[in-house]
Amino acid sequence: MPEELAIRIEDLSIKYKINIDTKKTLKNAVMRASKGEKVRTRIVEAVKHLTLDVPHGSVLGIVGANGAGKSTLMRAIAGILPPTEGQITVNGKISTLLALGVGFNPALSGRDNIILGGLASGMSRAEIEEKTEEIADFAALPDGFIDMPVRTYSSGMYGRVAFSVAVNMTPDILLLDEALSAGDASFKEKSFNRMRELCAEARTIVIVSHALQTVNDLCDSAIWMHKGNMLAKGKPEAIVDQYLKFLDVGTLPSNLEDM
Amino acid sequence: MANPKTNFAPAIQVFKPHRASLPPLIPYLKEFWRRRAFAIELSRFADKAEYLDSKLGKVWLVMNPLLLAFVYFLLVTVIRGGSTEKSGLSTLAHILIGLFTFYFASNSINGGALSITAGGRLILNQAFPRALLPLSSSISAFWQFLPTLPVYILVVVIGKLFFPHTQIPGLRLSYLWAPFIILCVGITGYGMGLLFATMNVYFRDTNKLLSYITRIWLYSSPVLWRPEILHGWHKIFLYINPLGPSLASTSDVWIEGRTPSLGMLVGSIVWAFLAVLIGGYFFISRERDFAVRI
Ligand SMILES: Nc1ncnc2c1ncn2[C@@H]1O[C@H](COP(=O)(O)OP(=O)(O)O)[C@@H](O)[C@H]1O
Ligand SMILES: [Mg+2]
Repeated sequence: MPEELAIRIEDLSIKYKINIDTKKTLKNAVMRASKGEKVRTRIVEAVKHLTLDVPHGSVLGIVGANGAGKSTLMRAIAGILPPTEGQITVNGKISTLLALGVGFNPALSGRDNIILGGLASGMSRAEIEEKTEEIADFAALPDGFIDMPVRTYSSGMYGRVAFSVAVNMTPDILLLDEALSAGDASFKEKSFNRMRELCAEARTIVIVSHALQTVNDLCDSAIWMHKGNMLAKGKPEAIVDQYLKFLDVGTLPSNLEDM
Repeated sequence: MANPKTNFAPAIQVFKPHRASLPPLIPYLKEFWRRRAFAIELSRFADKAEYLDSKLGKVWLVMNPLLLAFVYFLLVTVIRGGSTEKSGLSTLAHILIGLFTFYFASNSINGGALSITAGGRLILNQAFPRALLPLSSSISAFWQFLPTLPVYILVVVIGKLFFPHTQIPGLRLSYLWAPFIILCVGITGYGMGLLFATMNVYFRDTNKLLSYITRIWLYSSPVLWRPEILHGWHKIFLYINPLGPSLASTSDVWIEGRTPSLGMLVGSIVWAFLAVLIGGYFFISRERDFAVRI
């Protein structure tokens, strides 16, 4: 892989196999086997033959409708979902903030969850202990909430903590899946600044967002995904434009229709 | 490129399609070892979350096997038609230490079996060696097991005050074998936890099946009966049971006050290895599938 690339995706396809009729239990499996039935499955192709290079220090935006395969792609880059075909090469330490949020334990305090989140993403105990205060400060929760159980948080506060953990780990590659909507205007500004800082340090960011203005503001380039295909790639303004037109009209531009 | 201060995963990673075969093991095990703190803290925090509002819950962890041991003791004594004063205490002690040890293994297996299906969000959002989750369950099981040892010692000490002629030994050198045997039990439990965790991803009712298996397993282990009652070729029942040798050794060390036989020690080690090798093979060769199936 060339030096200047952070992520190289070559002819990537990802398929999910879904069991249609029965629950996955031993009982059902035995019943089926005794009747000589087969499991009925459906294959969903979430990402189809996608090839893409992301250079170090760039910010890539991904736009597309629900079910386009954006989250699947992000999970594959993070090494969580294995490719069905093709290959992904990643150069650098990855930090993720994906759609579901971290596996936060609601009974524990925000501070405990910061430690747990840091350890889960691969920091050593010493590293995360050194950073806990910084992360807590960045999240800037109102009076004392950081030491309260997470179940007492509003969704905005929850999002702030998750975001703070992800961006303060000094990742080489930061993957954000619909994570920027967290927090109010002032927190949003803070997170934008933090991301610009990360870019200035030549770190790489991939953003999935439905806030198209964000994509315009932050990204160097963007791609538009639709039903597993990458329809277009280019300057964010151009991509956002095309995508908005599609949203307006509801049909694909004629030159892209046969994909 | 990588931040020099951090010692994170290998800088360049390649993700490719895979068959049901093992990933490169050396990097996997390195990463597993590097992230061991995560498993330790996860069990500590799970424990903290569980007993945050109820200190009594922790007492119950010890009370539960203790009460169960008394029930089994009564049953065994009744079935046998009463007991002499001399053998009564040693029967109770044998059941106690056997049950505590058995529970250590079975808690680690049951917890491990659920750890993957229960860790859904974590698995969908972070990439890490999944074998850390069952390890975290085993560590929890160990922390539950540890306080039962002083309870055992307390019961024996009090018992010895009332029945000074009991055969149960006082302080003996043979106790030095105990940590080793506990380690074997822990490793066996972890290995089988890996195996059942994998099964539970594919068949979600595995843990129900497991509760039956555990019960049958308990009755066929030398917990409610002494290993000495098996003679000649019947001894084979001790060896084909993954916990047989280590539970027989437990009885030797704590009740008879002697060094376990070589056969039992070797048996304990062999089962510990087999459990981790087999469980580890199934788990690690399939763990890349977990995120898709959860
Ligand atoms: N865990 C899963 N099991 C089966 N199918 C899935 C799973 N996750 C996503 N899919 C399917 O893959 C496709 C892409 O989903 P996703 O990547 O979440 O899209 P997006 O993030 O762009 O909304 C959808 O058709 C969805 O139904
Ligand atoms: Mg999504």
